Amino acid sequence: MDYVLQTYHLTKRYKDKVVVNDLNMTIKTGDIYGFLGQNGAGKTTTLRMLMGLIRPSAGEVELFGAELNGNRNKALERIGAIIEYPGFYLNLNAVDNLEIHRRLMGMGNKECIDEVLTTVGLLDAKHQKVRNYSLGMKQRLGIARALLHHPELLILDEPTNGLDPGGIKEIRQLFLDLTKQRGITFIISSHLLSEVEQVANRIGIIHQGRLLEEIDYETLQKKTRHYLEIKVDDGQRAAYVLEQKLNITDYLVTEPGILRLYEQLDQPEKINLTLTKNDIGVKKIVLSGDSLEDYFLKLTGGE
Amino acid sequence: MFSVFYTEIMKLKNTKLYWLVLLGVLPACLMGSKALFPKISPAGIPLAFDMQDMFYSQGMVVTILGPALFALMIGYIITREYQERTINQLFSYPASRIIFFIAKLLVVFSLIVLTVWLPFVFSIVSTILVKHHLDVSIVWLGMKMNIMICILSFGTIPVAAALSMVGKTIMPNAILGSIVSIFAGISEAGHSMHSILFPWLAPYWPVRNLAQGIAQPGPNPYAAPALIILIFTFVVSLTFCIQYYNRADVHSGS
Repeated sequence: MDYVLQTYHLTKRYKDKVVVNDLNMTIKTGDIYGFLGQNGAGKTTTLRMLMGLIRPSAGEVELFGAELNGNRNKALERIGAIIEYPGFYLNLNAVDNLEIHRRLMGMGNKECIDEVLTTVGLLDAKHQKVRNYSLGMKQRLGIARALLHHPELLILDEPTNGLDPGGIKEIRQLFLDLTKQRGITFIISSHLLSEVEQVANRIGIIHQGRLLEEIDYETLQKKTRHYLEIKVDDGQRAAYVLEQKLNITDYLVTEPGILRLYEQLDQPEKINLTLTKNDIGVKKIVLSGDSLEDYFLKLTGGE
Repeated sequence: MFSVFYTEIMKLKNTKLYWLVLLGVLPACLMGSKALFPKISPAGIPLAFDMQDMFYSQGMVVTILGPALFALMIGYIITREYQERTINQLFSYPASRIIFFIAKLLVVFSLIVLTVWLPFVFSIVSTILVKHHLDVSIVWLGMKMNIMICILSFGTIPVAAALSMVGKTIMPNAILGSIVSIFAGISEAGHSMHSILFPWLAPYWPVRNLAQGIAQPGPNPYAAPALIILIFTFVVSLTFCIQYYNRADVHSGS
């Protein structure tokens, strides 16, 4: 498996307080990794450690197959990031801010500045001082800066903060396009489940400094699927009838006499009628299953 | 390294930092230019133009205002990265943090040179324009004085840098600079020889050498110990800054 990033027992302690605790994170090439956690869960501290901005109290970070410690500069050439807040020199305009970045990343071509500004929709505002930018515009400019040097990995801390719904949609689409077209790997941290679930193909859930779960989006969807739970007097016959009469194939027999149907969830009356007509006693039909949010709350202790 | 230095200069575009340079340059030019006006001795005899006095007045002003201005310059350059929350990005570049710190020091050194040398250039130009002649040996004395002021003023910059790094605000620098400037003004008014033992007053050593008609002329016996103290201050504070900048965890704005 080709990993862009791995952490081993990553820990950050401030005196007695453990902010990040024994974190083992794995991010594969091409992933859009949603790093999900409530405010104060340890997301930003983890991202800071990934960028070498703070030193771990214990553990290691491996980026592009090499340990970060000792290979930091090489790794940083391949990473674009917004950590916590897109900070800019407010007295300068967008072009000057990006020019500083271009020079510090050792890029030769000045045209790349207009290209990224077009990508994030800020070309018309490129000569405005950043002081006059809204938070949403700063976020876009932050994304532009992170993209400027064609990174392989983008680390974005709450990237849609301050964006309006239209802007969020555009940026989300941009992430998906960049992954498809350039194969960029993303780590997107957020405290908003809705934000992560719409772009991420893998999700890491952090709570109180601990990585509770790292899961593929598909697996997560399966875990959080809604279903019709049917309690009948003859489970085997009920399954046969459902398959033959209603073409239902996506179901599970969880216990004798209890079936979970994952399709035709909107037709409980029809299912009930069909089973009754075939002399199967239906004791209960109920729609259940966790939403993604319920699952997240369950995992984090419902806080 | 040049790229980093260039970007540090770029960051100062449209800032009020250059006003600080002017705040040092204008009074120095004004004080220096008074030597151009006709002077009459108490006995009523017209006195000849004295270029050495011109450089002396200029040096006095620069060494009195310098500590406050230069402390504010380095304070602004260091703390703005925390205040504008650009420190995360700065330390995410594939370069050593020390390089960034050295580039910042070089920018301040350039600003010191600008503050010190603009009045010097003004003196020469105004002398040529008004008096139509120039005594090259005196110009050389003035040049040496200004070179020394630049170097000696730079000696205390890491102390101010350390304060702004730890405090993440320009206030400690403003307080330090103001107190030192007041102290410098009082000490220089008394032409005291031993005042140069105080590191921030070391730049007064070459200025005092140009003074005429003062109580204790001649070479300053405190020059060697003053230099040792200044070098010690520079080395200790620079080492602290490098260690701090290099090792500190980065929490933007904190």
